[in-house]
Amino acid sequence: MIRIEHLSKAFQKNVVLEDVSLEIEQGNVIGVIGPSGTGKSTLLRCINQLEIPDQGTLTLDGRTIDLHRKNKQDMLYIRRNTGMVFQKFNLFEKKTALENVMEGLLTVHKLKPEEARQAALEELDRVGMTAWANHYPVHLSGGQQQRVAIARALALKPRLLLLDEPTSALDPELVGEVLEVIRKVAGQGYTMILVSHEMAFVQSISNRVIFLDKGHIVEDGTPAQVFSNPQNERTREFLSKMFILTQPEFII
Amino acid sequence: MKLFDFGLVFSQIPKLLEYLPVTLELALVSMLAGTLLGLLLAIMRMKKVRVLSQIAGFYISLVRGTPILVQLYIAYFGIPMLIKWINLKTGSNYVPANIPGFVYAVTALAINQSAFDSEIIRASLQSVDRGQIEAASSIGMTYFQTLRRIILPEALTVALPGLGNSFIGVIKGTSLAFTCAVVEITARGQILAGRNYRYFEVYVSLAIIYWVITIIIEQLIRLFERKTRIPDQVEQYQPENLKTGEAAV
Ligand SMILES: Nc1ncnc2c1ncn2[C@@H]1O[C@H](COP(=O)(O)OP(=O)(O)OP(=O)(O)O)[C@@H](O)[C@H]1O
Ligand SMILES: [Mg+2]
Repeated sequence: MIRIEHLSKAFQKNVVLEDVSLEIEQGNVIGVIGPSGTGKSTLLRCINQLEIPDQGTLTLDGRTIDLHRKNKQDMLYIRRNTGMVFQKFNLFEKKTALENVMEGLLTVHKLKPEEARQAALEELDRVGMTAWANHYPVHLSGGQQQRVAIARALALKPRLLLLDEPTSALDPELVGEVLEVIRKVAGQGYTMILVSHEMAFVQSISNRVIFLDKGHIVEDGTPAQVFSNPQNERTREFLSKMFILTQPEFII
Repeated sequence: MKLFDFGLVFSQIPKLLEYLPVTLELALVSMLAGTLLGLLLAIMRMKKVRVLSQIAGFYISLVRGTPILVQLYIAYFGIPMLIKWINLKTGSNYVPANIPGFVYAVTALAINQSAFDSEIIRASLQSVDRGQIEAASSIGMTYFQTLRRIILPEALTVALPGLGNSFIGVIKGTSLAFTCAVVEITARGQILAGRNYRYFEVYVSLAIIYWVITIIIEQLIRLFERKTRIPDQVEQYQPENLKTGEAAV
């Protein structure tokens, strides 16, 4: 069980998250949806300590950490146990796909180069990128880069994988391959929080969907509950807008 | 006596080159120390600690705002005074006269270098995409690991032309090391010319030497740039078992 409690974050006077609490069962996939600017990215970034919240704790494997405190040891502990997949991939551009995946294994897990190489090759295989192991990010399409980025995050066996709109920087025809990889990873028992505007995908992959609005969780339930029978007025509004935008032929 | 002894320009070059190691040593040590100090200053300026950033900013402004010749003299006269003061305060007994001029010259050149390099390094560090730094943080790399393995290699590519120019600058700066009683190629030239009064010829010889050194350095930098560039094309990766499998066929 992973627990996030009383998470709040404001940028100057702009309150982005307000007292957000969330319990995540092991192996669950939590889909996070909500309008632009409601703090979805900020939620993930606070969990990963890329942003320091004003208050809030994270409990992971029975260890509770004050996310506000900026304690170096705690920060590293959290980051080493959570993985992040970014909208813009953020691969290390001077490193090959293989080196990107090896990097954390070498520096964080302190594996020997040969062990790291083998482990990284396995991860690349999982995302179907073995043939591109020696390619640099500039040589790869967006979809391929994102698959490598997923392999990089998974190589460290995170207890919680955070995905922030992993497909929204991709050309439409590349979205499918990345979603397929995420679906595969979810099937392998990884615990994930997935922020996405791909409603159909969120609906089909999540065990649980959260609707975030103005820094609050206003809807929380199974995909069926949230998508078919939303209780909150804002959720209904949002979903009707999204489904007008999403034509059926794009549904995967 | 000829007005211009053309032959001498070339025939005295070997005599000048005897002191080339001193010139190169001065330049390399100053460059190395200056770059490291410059990196430190750049990080001080970028970190969000106000005091550190202000100290670094003041230092850079001071060093860039004063001529290198003046800095060399300040080092040459100032360091012995500093040592005497330390002796006075701590009862130690260092002898300033025992310190070779090389140390004064390198100190001044490195300090001068660091101020210029820090700006080059700062710009190059800031050119590194934030996203990659966040990615490194997100997998649990420490700041130092990120700096060494992600930021510096990328920044180096950006900084290289600037640092190359700066190295060429310090090579020429070493010609002022005579102020600290160091004999390198220029000082050697002045000594030679003092004997035969062929000042013009010796300076022409020196000009040729400096020019050739600069050309060599430029070529080395270009070579390094080519070596560290991401290749245009890469072959598909073949797993080992697959490769050996093919070989067996
Ligand atoms: N570094 C920052 N400084 C100031 N304000 C910020 C910063 N980062 C985010 N914000 C603000 O916080 C709010 C929430 O941003 P966030 O990126 O979390 O939204 P989001 O739900 O991920 O939106 P989107 O769907 O567009 O990605 C926005 O109003 C944004 O302007
Ligand atoms: Mg976002």
